[in-house]
Amino acid sequence: MKDLSHIRNFCIIAHIDHGKSTLADRLIELTGTVSKRDMQEQILDSMELEREKGITIKLAPTRLVYEYNGEEYILNLIDTPGHVDFTYEVSRSLTACEGAILLVDASQGVEAQTLANTYLALDNNLEIVPVINKIDLPSARIEDAKNEIEEVIGLDADDCPCISAKEGTNVDQVLRAIVEKIPSPIGDDEKPLKALIFDSHYDNFKGAICLIRVFDGTVKAGDQILMLQTGKTFEVTEVGIFVPNTKQTEILSAGEVGYVAASIKTISDVKVGDTITLTENPAKEALAGYKEIQPVVFCGIFTVDGAKYNDLKDALEKLKLNDASLQFSPEVSSALGFGFRCGFLGLLHLEIITERLEREFDLDIITTAPSVSYHVYKTNGEMLEVSNPSNLPPQVEISRIEEPIVSTSIYTPPEYVGAIMELCQDKRGEYKDMQYLDKKRVELKYILPLGEIIYDFFDSLKSRTKGYASFDYEFAGFMPAELVKVDLLLNGEKCDALSLIVHKDKAYNRGRELTERLKKIIPRQLFEVPIQACIGSKIIARETISAMRKDVLAKCYGGDITRKRKLLEKQKEGKKRMRKIGSVEIPSEAFMSILKLDQDK
Amino acid sequence: MRKEISIYVHIPFCEHKCAYCAFNSFCATQQEKENYLKLLCGEIAEKSKQFSNKYVVKTIYIGGGTPSVLSCEQISEVVRAIYDNFDVYDNAEFTIEANPHSISEEKLKCWKSLRVNRVSVGVQTLSDKNLSKIGRLHTSKMAIEKIKLVRKYFANVSCDLLVGLEGEDGKTLCKHAKQLLELGIKHISCYFLEIYQNTPIFDMIQNKKYLPLGDEEQVAAFNKLANYLKDAGLERYEISNFAYPQFESKHNSNYWARGEYVGFGLSAHSFLNGKRFWNADNIDDYKNGVTTSEELSLTEEDEEKIMLGLRCNLGVDVKSLKKIDLNKNPYFQDYLKQGILTQEGGLVKLNPMFYQMSNTIISNLFEDK
Repeated sequence: MKDLSHIRNFCIIAHIDHGKSTLADRLIELTGTVSKRDMQEQILDSMELEREKGITIKLAPTRLVYEYNGEEYILNLIDTPGHVDFTYEVSRSLTACEGAILLVDASQGVEAQTLANTYLALDNNLEIVPVINKIDLPSARIEDAKNEIEEVIGLDADDCPCISAKEGTNVDQVLRAIVEKIPSPIGDDEKPLKALIFDSHYDNFKGAICLIRVFDGTVKAGDQILMLQTGKTFEVTEVGIFVPNTKQTEILSAGEVGYVAASIKTISDVKVGDTITLTENPAKEALAGYKEIQPVVFCGIFTVDGAKYNDLKDALEKLKLNDASLQFSPEVSSALGFGFRCGFLGLLHLEIITERLEREFDLDIITTAPSVSYHVYKTNGEMLEVSNPSNLPPQVEISRIEEPIVSTSIYTPPEYVGAIMELCQDKRGEYKDMQYLDKKRVELKYILPLGEIIYDFFDSLKSRTKGYASFDYEFAGFMPAELVKVDLLLNGEKCDALSLIVHKDKAYNRGRELTERLKKIIPRQLFEVPIQACIGSKIIARETISAMRKDVLAKCYGGDITRKRKLLEKQKEGKKRMRKIGSVEIPSEAFMSILKLDQDK
Repeated sequence: MRKEISIYVHIPFCEHKCAYCAFNSFCATQQEKENYLKLLCGEIAEKSKQFSNKYVVKTIYIGGGTPSVLSCEQISEVVRAIYDNFDVYDNAEFTIEANPHSISEEKLKCWKSLRVNRVSVGVQTLSDKNLSKIGRLHTSKMAIEKIKLVRKYFANVSCDLLVGLEGEDGKTLCKHAKQLLELGIKHISCYFLEIYQNTPIFDMIQNKKYLPLGDEEQVAAFNKLANYLKDAGLERYEISNFAYPQFESKHNSNYWARGEYVGFGLSAHSFLNGKRFWNADNIDDYKNGVTTSEELSLTEEDEEKIMLGLRCNLGVDVKSLKKIDLNKNPYFQDYLKQGILTQEGGLVKLNPMFYQMSNTIISNLFEDK
């Protein structure tokens, strides 16, 4: 008989680089969940991409078995992402837990993002266990970090574990704190089944797999389940837990975390946030789900090889399964053909999705420059939401455009305040407030246009503050702004996929940057090609690509026609990565380079 | 009605390897030459059986390498093998490639007696500095003397010129061409200097010991030369080839018109009954009769027609294409609009102004694979 008092469901909240995945590794190691032999660094970061970027995107739950005072406890760890784009994922993890470890880097202190997620956890009535990490670093300021936790967050940090996850110092104290401080789950096996789907992914053999937290009741193979939101029913083929790989078990009961497979072939039948119950004696009410998250960054995604459109569609559907925040709808571009306009939680999210499309689905894709969604009020009183610059109506039909704005908090050491203010000014920010949190930490508050943030704000902030500042933002509505559409003309023909909506004061600079960049990346053509940036019919920047000079095969020796034909066929093959805008060929990379405009300035 | 065919014979030997040469040629001992010629004559006799009396030879081309390094006896042996095994038109075009250094009056008389009627001389340049740098054994003086000698015996003489050599701008090239035309040369082939890895010139360039012209200068120089030759009355009948009327190379024109030909010798190519095949390019495999062949799909045949046709002044006959519908190709439409291609009575031609970009244009007219 399972004893609820011996289960703890918890997650770890931490800023990027504060050592969350390393701590998770130590916990797994210390509890013997994975043998040393199978241990690989950052075991829960299952995606290659996550390990590479050193960030956690996907939650990977795992069950730890820990002996405390001679008794066995089951600790379900639900890992969380730390990046601002993934607040949504964090909130999903939180609802499945009773407690959270707040991991703070002893040398960095509390960061903007940590704070935001801690508030989220508090909103979810989670017990917070502060832990100070990286005490082995020479720059560790343990007492300062404790003070910040107490002053900024208002949590008692007096006796919190001070550890080095890297070296394994005091990690056992974390396990003890989990058992002692985090409440055990409350639930009743006898009540009708109520299980929250907090994540899902697709398995080619088992169909869609639901990751669940059981609140009441039990579920086992053979049960007929009902999804309360979608109304679909399925027969359970398998239930199990994560150790951290999936391990089949007989039953999942109240308080437990695990997975359910039910030969679910249609991906859209599984909604993260939905409640699973049994068709027989179903639960009356669904658990509180998740609020539908709205994407804030948009871009067009196309395949380099136009014929792969359907592959792209399948891939996006599969990604959507465990990433409900990803949105997409079909789009047609005269330059890039058929593709999708996709919505993301932020730039990192965009980058992750595009990289996953390329790596996991082996697709060569082109993405257009990211954009936000504007509210465009027409002279006839109509309001349009425009996230694709080419859909902006002609200027004469527009009475005003409103752009999304965000309220931003930036945490920084005081010496960078000047540089940050300058940056925010440059990004059309509106100063709101400045507060000294302690001697070493200032909080700056600004209202900023989201469109400026998605352009190069992250990188500029990082470079101006040597990486010491952190920031967080939340959506704060729409505000009118003087925005214009900048179009790019190649040899006089408009390339819809390269259009941008920008503030009129920035249009000239952006136009110049774009034309210069395109000049570098577009190969010479058979004739001279002017590249122009324009607003309406007004040219604001111009570059010229001079004509190609020489591309010819010389002599054919002794009638070797084959070699010559094959060389030309190969050349043709290389053209597959080219797009044709009117009579100008552009390499797919050109579109990507617009996206990364700021990088090699 | 007998089918007409061309014969190519490959002589892979050179007296000395040129600095830019990445081609299958080598300096050989007398013994190696004898052995090769024995194999070659054997191949001619053996392969000729399948032709019996259904074919008649319209052109012969002995190329290399440097065929002129062969002695009179040696070249006679090869030519006899051809005459013994094939019917050859009396007026067949018969070309031999020669380098100034190995040309002698004795050889010229011998060739004449063998019914050779066209000599292609590998001059490359008339600049002594470049001749020595690129590893040619002749000087400009020797080249001129030898060409005079060749002209004593042959009316139809062609010369090769390289474009892109160090310091040789269009003016220099025109000067060289003028000298050649004054010697009675009827045909000039102009090739860009191509640099391959693992050649001495590649290293020289890497080490800044040799400075060929840049792409733009090369094209400018070539165009200047082409204009000069045009003004002098030569027709540019193929991208790299210029000739006075009636002096076009019939043998090469046959390649470009996709006529049939059979090649003998190391790495020699043949085209018969719609099939392309070629001999091995190393002596051991060649000895064992190793050949590679290629059956062309209808699309590939079309691609050949487009590729070869557009490189010539004859153009490509769209009605002859079986699979590729050029009208459905957006590039084709663009090129017509831009005047890069012209179309008249079903014949599509490449505007000579765009010859130097022909790879881009032709490959865009190929089918997507």
